Amino acid sequence: MKKLLCTLMTAALTVSLLAGCGNADTGSQTASGTAADSGIGAQNTQDSDLLDPANPTTVTFYSYSLGYPSMKDGMEHLIRSFNETVGAEKGVIVEGITDDMTKFRTDIQAGNQVDVVQMTFGQLDSARTSLGFQAYEDIFPADELAEHLSGISENAQALAEIDGKMYALAFTFSTPILYINGDLFREAGLDPENPPATWAEMLEYAQTIKEKTGKNGLAFSPTNGWVTEGIIYTAGSDMLNADKTEAVFANEQTFAAFETWKEFYTSGCAVAETDSEAAQEFMAGNAAMHIQSTSMLSGIIAASEAGDWELYGAAMPGIGDNEAVPVNSGSCLAVRSDSPEKAAAIWEFIKYATGDEGYTIITSEIGYLPLRTYLADDPAYLKDFVDQYPLLRINLAQLERIRPVTIWPAKNGTEAFSVFTDAVQKALTSDSDVTAVLTQAQEDINALLQQ
Amino acid sequence: MNIYLTQPATREMVKPRRTARAAFSRKKKKINVKPYLFLTPAVLMLIWWVYKPMLGTLRYSLYDWSMVPGTEAVYVGLSNFKKLLTNKDFGTAVINTGVYILGMLPFSVILPVFLSVATQGLQDKVKKLYRAFFFVPMIMAPVAVSTIFQWLLHPSNGLINHLLQTAGITANNISFFSDERFARLMIILISGWKMLGFATLMFSSALSGIDRQYYEAAALDGAGKFRSFFHITLTMISPTVMMMIMMSVLFSSQWSMAYIDVLTQGGPYGTSTNIYYLMYKYAFKDMNVGVCAAAAGLFMLVFVILAMLLQKLSSKVAFYDN
Repeated sequence: MKKLLCTLMTAALTVSLLAGCGNADTGSQTASGTAADSGIGAQNTQDSDLLDPANPTTVTFYSYSLGYPSMKDGMEHLIRSFNETVGAEKGVIVEGITDDMTKFRTDIQAGNQVDVVQMTFGQLDSARTSLGFQAYEDIFPADELAEHLSGISENAQALAEIDGKMYALAFTFSTPILYINGDLFREAGLDPENPPATWAEMLEYAQTIKEKTGKNGLAFSPTNGWVTEGIIYTAGSDMLNADKTEAVFANEQTFAAFETWKEFYTSGCAVAETDSEAAQEFMAGNAAMHIQSTSMLSGIIAASEAGDWELYGAAMPGIGDNEAVPVNSGSCLAVRSDSPEKAAAIWEFIKYATGDEGYTIITSEIGYLPLRTYLADDPAYLKDFVDQYPLLRINLAQLERIRPVTIWPAKNGTEAFSVFTDAVQKALTSDSDVTAVLTQAQEDINALLQQ
Repeated sequence: MNIYLTQPATREMVKPRRTARAAFSRKKKKINVKPYLFLTPAVLMLIWWVYKPMLGTLRYSLYDWSMVPGTEAVYVGLSNFKKLLTNKDFGTAVINTGVYILGMLPFSVILPVFLSVATQGLQDKVKKLYRAFFFVPMIMAPVAVSTIFQWLLHPSNGLINHLLQTAGITANNISFFSDERFARLMIILISGWKMLGFATLMFSSALSGIDRQYYEAAALDGAGKFRSFFHITLTMISPTVMMMIMMSVLFSSQWSMAYIDVLTQGGPYGTSTNIYYLMYKYAFKDMNVGVCAAAAGLFMLVFVILAMLLQKLSSKVAFYDN
C-alpha cells in the first residue's frame, strides 16, 4: 500500500510537472504576443476622455536620475507632484523606477511594461530601432504637441529628431561647466575670479595648485562619457561625418588636444579616475577644479557648505584660439505605448514633466537647465533661484554655442561608442601613443559602421 | 536404461527452473520501473531547466536577435562566431579568463589549506571563532563588498592610498580600478577574499575526517610536522583539493563577474573584462543575443573539456581512504 502510494505520488508529480511545462510555454507565447502588439496599435488621435480618474492608468517611468543621490529627491518630487495634481485629476499614476541606463532594456527583453524612459540622446537611434520606442508625432495629438512645443527652442527639439521625426523630447539638459574650489585657488596664490580660459592655462593652474597645496589641480575623468566630445569639437574636429557612416575624429587637432589633456595625468596634477570618483574628489575638497554637468550643482553646493569652502564656476575652457564648444548632457523622454489609453496617460505626464512646473522642479532641485528659458526670468518660476545661483547663467550663456551630443547609428552604434570610449581612456591613461590609439579606434569604428 | 530414466528426469528438473527464471525476470522487470519513475521528475526538470535552454542557446548562436519580445530572430549562419572572434575585446577576455582562473587558485586552494591546518589544532571555541571570521565574507552581498572596497581604494579619499602615502610607499594617488596595472589584480584579490572562507571551511571539514592514528603512527616513526603535513594531510585531503581546484577553474570567472561589473565595468579599456562579463555585455548592453550565445557555446565546450581533464586528473591523483 505504501509502495503504491509512493508510485502514485511520483506519477502525479510527473504529470503536474509536464502540465507546468505546458503552462510555461503558453505564458511565453502570450508575452510575445503582447509585446508584438506594443507600439503598433497606438493611435495619435486619443484624447484625455480615455482616462478615468476612478480607474487610473499606471505609467512606468524609468529614470536614471532616481539612482543618483544628488538628483533623487528632485526627481521623486516631480513624480509625486504630478501624481498629486494632474495625475489625480485625470486618472494617471506614474510609477518611478530607478534605472541604470540598461535596466529599461533588460525589462523590455523580459516583457515588462516600460512606458517612459529617461534616456541619453546617444542611445536613441538603437532604442527606437530595436526596442519599439515611438515618434511623438505617431502617438500624440498633433495640435496639442505643437502647442506644447511652442515654448521650447527649435534647437532643443531637434536634439532627438531622427529621420524627420521626434523620437523623444529633451528633458533634463545641461552643459559642462568648470567648478572651482575658491579656497584652494587662493591657497595656491590664484584668483578664482580669473578662471583659466584655455586648456593650456588650466594645465598651468593645475600644476601650480599641486605644487603649492599638494592637492590635485583638476578632477576630470577620461571616462566622463560626454564632455570628451565637446573637447573634440572645441579642438576644431568632429565625431562622425554628416550621414553618420564614418568616424572622423582622428586628426591633428584632436591629437593635440588629447596630448594636453594627457599631461594632466602624466604630470601628476590630476588622477585618471572614474567620473564618480572625480566628482567625489572635488566635493571632498581634494581637487581645485572639476569639469562637470550642472546636474551635480545641488550636490556640489551641499558639499562646499559642508566642507566650508567657497564654490566658484566658469565656462568650459577653450583650446588655443578656439572658444569652447560644449555638448549637451542630460536626457530625453522616449516613450512606448500599447494602447490609446496608455498614450493619453503618457502624454499627460510628458506635458507636466516638460512644462513650466516640471522644469521649475528639475532646475531648482536638481540643477538642470530649464529648456523653457523664459522661466529663468519669470519671478513666478525660476528668477529668484537663478539669481541666487549665478552659475546657471554660465550654463544658459553656453547654450548659444552648444552642439548636440552624437547620436550613434542604430546598427553597431553601442559597440562603436564602446570602442571610442575605450580608446579615449587608453590614449589618456596608458603609455600608448595618442595618435596610434585614436587612429586605430577610428579604423575599428569605421569597420563596424560599414558592416 | 539409466539413460532413459535420467533424460525425462532432467527434463522435469529443467522445466521448473525455467519457470522460476521467467518469474524472477518478470519480478526484476517490475522492480526496475520504479527507480526510473522516481527519477522522472528530476530528469524532466533537468531537461527543462538545463538542457532545453542549453540547446536554445546553441540555436540562438546562429541567429541575430535582440531578445525583445515580439521581434523575430533572423538566421545568420556562422556570422556571430566570426563577429565574436574578430571582436577587439574577445582575445583580452579569453586571456583574462585564464588569468582569473590562475589568480583565484591561491585563494581557493593554497591559502585555505594552510589556514585550515593552522586553525585545526586550536581549542574548539577559538577554532569556531576563527572559522566564523573566515566565512563572513562569503555571506556578504557582492555589491556591498564592492562598495566597501570602492571606498577603501578610492584614489583620493581612500584609506589604502592614504596609508601608502603616509608610509612613503607611493607619492601620487593610485586609481586602483582605472589603472591597467592594478584593475585585474584588485578583482582577483576581492574575489579571492570572498572565496577564502568557503574554501577554508571545506578543507577544515576534510581535515576533521582524517584518522588521528595516521599522525600517531607517523610521530612514532619520527616524522616531523612538515613531513606529516605533506605525506599525510595533503594525501588524505587530496579529493577535496581536487574538488576545489575543479570548482575554482570552472567557476572563478563567474565569481569575479559581479566585481567586474560594479568596480571596473571591464575597464580600463577592456583590460579587466572576462568572458562572462563580455557575454553579459553582448546580451544586455549591445542587445546582441546571437554573439552572446556564440560565446556561451564556445566556452561551454572549453569548460566541458577542462572538466573532463580535471576529472581524469582527479581519478589519478586523489587518494580515498576507504
